[in-house]
This record gives sequence, C-alpha cells and structure tokens, in this order.
Amino acid sequence: MLTLTGLFVFSACKNGMKQNSGILNNQSAAQKVYVAPGEHDEYYAFFSGGFSGQVSVYGLPSGRLLKIIPVFSVDAEKGYGFNEETKPMLNTSFGFVPWDDAHHPELSQTNGIPDGRWLFINGNNTPRIAKLDLSTFETTEIIEIPNSGGNHSSPFTTENSEYVVAGTRFSVPFPQKDVAIGSYKDNFKGALSFIKLDEDGHMDIAFQVLVPGYDYDLAHSGKGKSHGWTFFTTYNSEQSHTLKEINASQNDKDFIAAVNWKKAEEYLAQGKAQDYPTEYLINRYDEHSHTSTSITRNSVKVLIPEECPGLIYYLPTPKSPHGVDVDPTGEYIVGNGKLSADLTVHSFDKMMTAIANEAFEETIDGIPVLKFEEVLAGTVSSGGLGPLHTEFDADGNAYTTFFISSEVVKWKVGSWEVLDRAPCYYSVGHLMIPGGDSKKPWGKYLVALNKITKDRYLPTGPEMNHSAQLYDISGDKMEMLLDFPTVGEPHYGQGIAADVIKNRSKKIYPLNDNTHPHNIKSEAEARVERDGDVVRIYMTSIRSHFAPDNIEGIKVGDKVYVHLTNLEQDWDTPHGLSIMGARNAELLVMPGQTETLYWEPQKPGVYPFYCTDFCSALHQEMQGYIRVSEATSDIKLSWSLGESI
Amino acid sequence: MVETAEEPEDPMANKGIGPVSEVTLGAEIDEAMAAEGKSIFETMCAACHKIDEKFIGPSPKGILKRRSPEWVMNMILNPEQMIKEDPVAKALFIEFNMSPMANQNLTEDQARKVLEYFRTLE
Amino acid sequence: MRRRINYLMLIASLLLVLLFVFPLWRITLTAPQYPDGISMFIWINKITGDNEYTLQNINILNHYVGMQYIVPESIPELTYFPYIILFMTAAGVAVAFTNNKKLIGTWLVTMLILGILGIYDFYLWEYDYGHNLSDKAPIKVPGMAYQPPLLGTKMLLNFKADSYPHWGGAVLGLSIILSYVALIKSRFSHEKS
Repeated sequence: MLTLTGLFVFSACKNGMKQNSGILNNQSAAQKVYVAPGEHDEYYAFFSGGFSGQVSVYGLPSGRLLKIIPVFSVDAEKGYGFNEETKPMLNTSFGFVPWDDAHHPELSQTNGIPDGRWLFINGNNTPRIAKLDLSTFETTEIIEIPNSGGNHSSPFTTENSEYVVAGTRFSVPFPQKDVAIGSYKDNFKGALSFIKLDEDGHMDIAFQVLVPGYDYDLAHSGKGKSHGWTFFTTYNSEQSHTLKEINASQNDKDFIAAVNWKKAEEYLAQGKAQDYPTEYLINRYDEHSHTSTSITRNSVKVLIPEECPGLIYYLPTPKSPHGVDVDPTGEYIVGNGKLSADLTVHSFDKMMTAIANEAFEETIDGIPVLKFEEVLAGTVSSGGLGPLHTEFDADGNAYTTFFISSEVVKWKVGSWEVLDRAPCYYSVGHLMIPGGDSKKPWGKYLVALNKITKDRYLPTGPEMNHSAQLYDISGDKMEMLLDFPTVGEPHYGQGIAADVIKNRSKKIYPLNDNTHPHNIKSEAEARVERDGDVVRIYMTSIRSHFAPDNIEGIKVGDKVYVHLTNLEQDWDTPHGLSIMGARNAELLVMPGQTETLYWEPQKPGVYPFYCTDFCSALHQEMQGYIRVSEATSDIKLSWSLGESI
Repeated sequence: MVETAEEPEDPMANKGIGPVSEVTLGAEIDEAMAAEGKSIFETMCAACHKIDEKFIGPSPKGILKRRSPEWVMNMILNPEQMIKEDPVAKALFIEFNMSPMANQNLTEDQARKVLEYFRTLE
Repeated sequence: MRRRINYLMLIASLLLVLLFVFPLWRITLTAPQYPDGISMFIWINKITGDNEYTLQNINILNHYVGMQYIVPESIPELTYFPYIILFMTAAGVAVAFTNNKKLIGTWLVTMLILGILGIYDFYLWEYDYGHNLSDKAPIKVPGMAYQPPLLGTKMLLNFKADSYPHWGGAVLGLSIILSYVALIKSRFSHEKS
C-alpha cells in the first residue's frame, strides 16, 4: 500500500514537472517575442507579397505588420497606380500593366553588408525590377527587363550594389519573334541581365549575357574572394517546352552558371558587346516633384559567350538546383537540388583551379562545363527531401529549407555535418535570417516562409494567408517562437537591424522642396482653371479643410484634374481625397506632397468630396461640394472657402 | 493497421496504410460500378494518370497484378501518409520526381468504384 | 577715476551678446499624439520651434480652440528688444571701463527693471493668446483659457505645457548676478583705497 502511494506520488510529480516545463518553454518563447507597447522591434523584415505584387514590412521578433508598400500592383488604399503621379510607374513596353508577381526582396549592400538604402524586388510576370527607397518606404524606380520571361533569378545584388541581376526563368525567342513553339531548341535563348546603378542610384541595363535556352531559376553574387562573380542556377537543360514537370526533370544534373562580371566589364570596354534592338521602359519617381516619368530604351548590349572566353562557366549540379547560396566567406556555393535529398556544395577556389587547368567536360554554346568532381567541395546528406534555399548565421552554420519534408536543417559549413532540424508548418519555401545572405549575418532569428497554411490559424474559407514561423537560432538548437500569417505569398524576405533604417526614415516632405508642376504652396494660390474641356483644380488641405471647398462651373464631359497639395508639415498627417462617382481610387497625400485625382463627371448634380484619412477632431467636417452642370450650361467657373460662391 | 509497413517483400500482401483493411472483389466485374468508376477516374485522377503510359504518376493498367486492392484504395484515400510511411509508395514518390499524389477527397465508396474500373484495365 | 577696468562688469555686459545665440525661454507642449513634444523657443528677436514647421503645427492645433495665430512679425517687442540689449551691452562695457560704483549700480537697476518689464510683457502676450479666443472656435470649453504658465507646468486640455527659462534666460540671470558682484567689489575696493 505504502509502495503504491509512493509510486503514485512519484508519477504525479513527474507529470506535474513535465507540464510545468512545457509552460515554462511557452513563457520563455512568449517573452522572447514580446515587444512592449510603445517599444520598437529589433529588426525590420521585408517580405514579398508574391502574387499580391507588394512588399510587406514586419517587425521582428514581434511579427507586427508595419506597412504594405505597393510596388507592382495598383493599390487603391494609397492611390498607387490610380493617381496621375504614380500611373507611369506601371508602364511597360506593353503599356500599363497593373499587376505583377513579386518574389525576391533584396537589400542594397555596401561592402557586402545590407546598408538600408534601398530594397530591390523582382516582378516575374512582365519582367521588371523595382527599387524602393527606405527613407520614404516608397517605390521610386521600376525597370523592365527585355529578352526575358518569368524574371525569377532576380534581383540579387553584388557586394556594393554595383549591379542587380536578372536571369530569365523562361527562355524565349531572343529577340522576341513569332515562331513555332516546337522550334524551341533552335530559337529560344536565355538572358542573364546585369542592371547597373549609377551614382544617383538610377538603374539601367549595362549588358545581357546570351545563354542557352534553359530555365534560369535563382542567383546570388559572390562576396569577399568571389566578389566579381554571380551564380545562377539552371533547370530544364533538357530544353523541353511542354509538360515540364516530367520533361524538365530527366537529366541527372543541370548547371550552376558562374558569370565573371568584371570580365564582362572588360569586354564591354573593348566594344565586344552587340547592340540588339529591343524595347524596354525605365520608370522613375522623383521625391521632389512627386511625379514619375517613363523613359524608353530601344537597344540593349549583349555579350555572346562564344566571343567572350572566360565570361561564363557551367558547374554541373544534381537534380534541378533551385536556390544557389554563397556562404559569408565567399568560398562555398551551395546548390539546393530540389529533386534530390542532398545538397551539393561547390568550392570557389576549386572552381578557379579547374578554370586555370581547363578541367572541362564539354563546351555548350561557348560555355565550358567544368568537371563536377573538380569543383565539388562536399555534399550535405541530411535525410530531408526537396532542398530549396540556404542562409547562414554568423557562426559558420548554414540553414536549409526542405519543401517536401517541411523542415529547416542546420548544418556546419565545411564539415557538412547536420546539427539540428526543426519542422515547419507547412512546406517551407524560402527562409530568411537577417543578413543571412550577406557577408555579415546578424543571425539570432530565422523566419521560415511557408507555402501551405491549412489548420495553423482560424479558417478563412478556401484561401488563407501563408504562414511564417520565427525561430530563435542563437542557441545550439533552433527554437520556434512565433507563428504568424503573412500577406499574399511571402516568397522571400530580407531582414536588417532596425537602427540601420529607422534613423533615416523621413517624417514629412518639406513643402519648400516640392517642385510638382501643379503644386501650390498656400491657400492664397488655390484656384480653378479651365482650358477647353480640361479643368484643373488647384487645391490645398490642412487640418481641417480643403481650399477651395465649394466649386461650381464644372460640366459633364470635362476632364477634371484635382491637384491636391497637403500643406501640413507635421509627422503622420496625411489627408485623403475622394469624390463621389469618380471612377478612380482616393488620393492619400503625405505632408508637403502634391497628388492628382483624375475625374470625368458623368451626370449633372452636386457631388460631395471629403478627406478619407481620419486627420483630426474635425475630420468629419473636412469636406466640400462640387457642382456639375450640363455640358451646354453657361454657369461660370467659381470657387470659394468660408463664404458662398 | 500499420504492421504492413515492415513487409515490402511481397507487394500483394501489403495492404497499405489507411482506412481500408479488407476488400472483397466479386467473381465477375460489376460493369455498372466500373462505369461509374471510370467517370470518377476521368474527373479526379486523369490529370496525372494515363492508362497507356507513365505520366505524372504511374499507369493504373494491370495494377491489381502488382498491388493488393486494399493498397490501391488506401493510396487513393490516404496518399499523404502512404508516401511518408508505406515503403512501396515511398519508392514510387522518389521515382516520380517527388510529385506527391494529391488527395482528391474521394469517399470510400467512390474509391471502391475506381478500383472496380481498374479491374477492367488489363 | 580708477584706472583699472572692472572685468566682472565687462563680462556681465558682454554676456548679453549671448542672447542672440541662445533662446530666452522654452515652452514645450506634450500630448499622447505628440510623444516627443512640440517646443517653442522665445528669443530676444524671434520665435522658433524644434524645426521650421513648428509654429505652423502649433497654430493648427491652436485654431481648434480659437486662439490667434502666432505670427512673430506682429510682435513689435521682437524688433526693438534687440536694440535695447545692444544698448545695454555697450553701456555696460563703458561702465566697466569707468569702474564707477554709481554707474554700475544704475546699470544693474536698469537691467532689473527691464527684466521685470520683459517678464510682465511676456505675461501679457501669454494672457492675450490664452484668453482672446475666436467666437467661432470649433471647440469651446466654458471657462477654459489657454494661457501657458509663466514659469512651471500646467495642463491645457490634452496638452501639458512646460514653461521654463532656456540658456538665454540663464545668461541674463548670470549677467545680472555678475554685475551685482561687480557692484559690491567696486564698493569694497573704493573703501579700501
């Protein structure tokens, strides 16, 4: 009896302790992600929205959503792509394209370290690269990439953001032409584009490398000793054009293409590039005029490997490699063979030796294929399935995602030994460690960006936001801290210490610096002008009224431009503007900014307009009327504020 | 139900992992059932399985000479667990470039009809 | 006449030049929506804020309760106070060279009177801004005035107003104290000789 009681007490204790330690773990995870009200997060995280075409900004470790920045998709919330100032940002050689598929955010770098100046992101569908200014968190430039389709291996930067690169996922006729799809092997080529940043940070295409018609999947540039090289993965070296899920998965090995862009610069200087006629647009937004303009280019410089020895080499890599990731030292190039269980790691030093010794297996279209054994540094056999992407911490460890086995595996760079593994919920694609693809990772946290959500949160019908999980990687074992939904498809992310960005963040646009062609700087200049059927309303906003707020003499069929200048010069005091019946979105005008709403009045009547952003105690009073008369009416143009017209 | 995972030697003895533990096949093919099964197959399965060739997944032709009827139904009804735990399904998953078989949410009755249709494919 | 220059008096008068370098007074408004506060600086010759937009931002807030706009150009004191200060500096330097006890005393008393008048004037302006409210103010709180404190802290609706001397005010005080010490020392040296 005594023994039984003893046993019972013992087992009760054991259960109690087990439960307690579980609660303690949860408490410690909760503490690690707790950022007290009013306190700031330690890191900014930038996640792409995938098919939302936007970038979402989160704080880590709290997982707080800070902002959604419109990039490739029109955004009614901010009037992006709806107001006259930002419409040109979405211009392409096909005209206005209001959507794209945004995959890879990439922070600009100085000496291989993210510097918080810009964020680049690719648009896959109609190939484009956007540049976001991180002092304003606005999209300030979008460049179209010609001779490409599915701009996926993009926009990875070099060590000092000399270039961002863009490799084509689809090979296409180069230059584009009307040919039979079945003539793929004869007519289809790939393009690896190098976009140069000038001193003002403006992007333009320096050159493209013409490569065989494979699919170029992902890229990363070398760093440290491998600075000067950029690596692209390929698949579909079978060159199939239909049922690729089978036909592009036949070869045991595809390639990692290594491009020596410093050599390319030499060839460019020697005039070895050929000018290919094409058409692509560059759209630039100016922070002072608050307007964007489109520039059209009609040719691009193309380097052809047969004519440029030493420009590009192929490193054989097993089973359709997806991500290619360079470790912080620049020595190891990790190929994540997505249809295999193992990771293939190449050595930069061995690659250079193999090139010097001409250890080539064969040559494809002027591109030497290096012997696999001569460049191989090692293989990571983790037991996981479907490796996709690898990032690094500051202590010589690498972390690889496995889509099929839905996990992150931690391994040692150099010894290739597996150290830890953690499950992801579910089917992780990219992962993000702040600075984890740079020369100096901050480490500390890892975010798994998952493709499948299922039961992780309260259900929201068939479609759910994708899930992300935050892990603490500061210890030997990864510890999951937080699970949070993201916007669209958070394809990839970038993280950076908050201090690098937060002190550069602007609070207002100085009104004195506003050079918008239709700005006004005071209420005294507020007016309405007619030129034929074009009517320009020069309007101001300040808490809590518009000037003018009564307007008459507009007619059905007029083309009305409302140029609204926000005279506020205080932080976080935007004003919005919406007009009843306007087939348009609102304006959302920042302090010191001018934006334009285009409106074609349809029917006679008196139409209210109002401020849409709750601005002050008298926000509901911030409104006005516009009278619209028949086209034949002779009512004179007039306006007022504070008195009857 | 899980014990078969250890016996890959005789595939016909492997009943797979899932809700189906015992299927009795009639002496003759039930044509009405097979016809319904064919229609279900064409809607739910044909995107990845072709009768006369290896496609995204294997051909079901002659499958009942290679697999037990229980295994076939469990593969249809419980593919997620099958490709993780059943040795035969695991091997097929690797062979087919890691394209996981999709769970099309068939009922047991529908799966049984598809099985009847498979009996007609010689 | 003494030959020796009264250096304390010289420093006391020259210190006044610093009033053109530092503001006299600072009024800081803080509210939940303004966690960093909005500060207004009162100089001998101008009114400034944390940045060039502060006055506009204060005026926007003030218009809800019907306060007048603060327009530095409409405050004449800001125009003639600088001349008074320059005159007192020059006079003080001259006095330092004479090192005459009576003149030092006169300078000190003049400064004290000017200081008191200045503070009284500041109070009148504050009173005017705080009480002279528009009839059409959107927000009217019966019995409420918005006069900031002359010295100290006061709640004005949702804003906490802190009003304290700034460096210029301290310099002015130091100048007066130094001239007082100069006066005493000048007396002692007179009695000694």
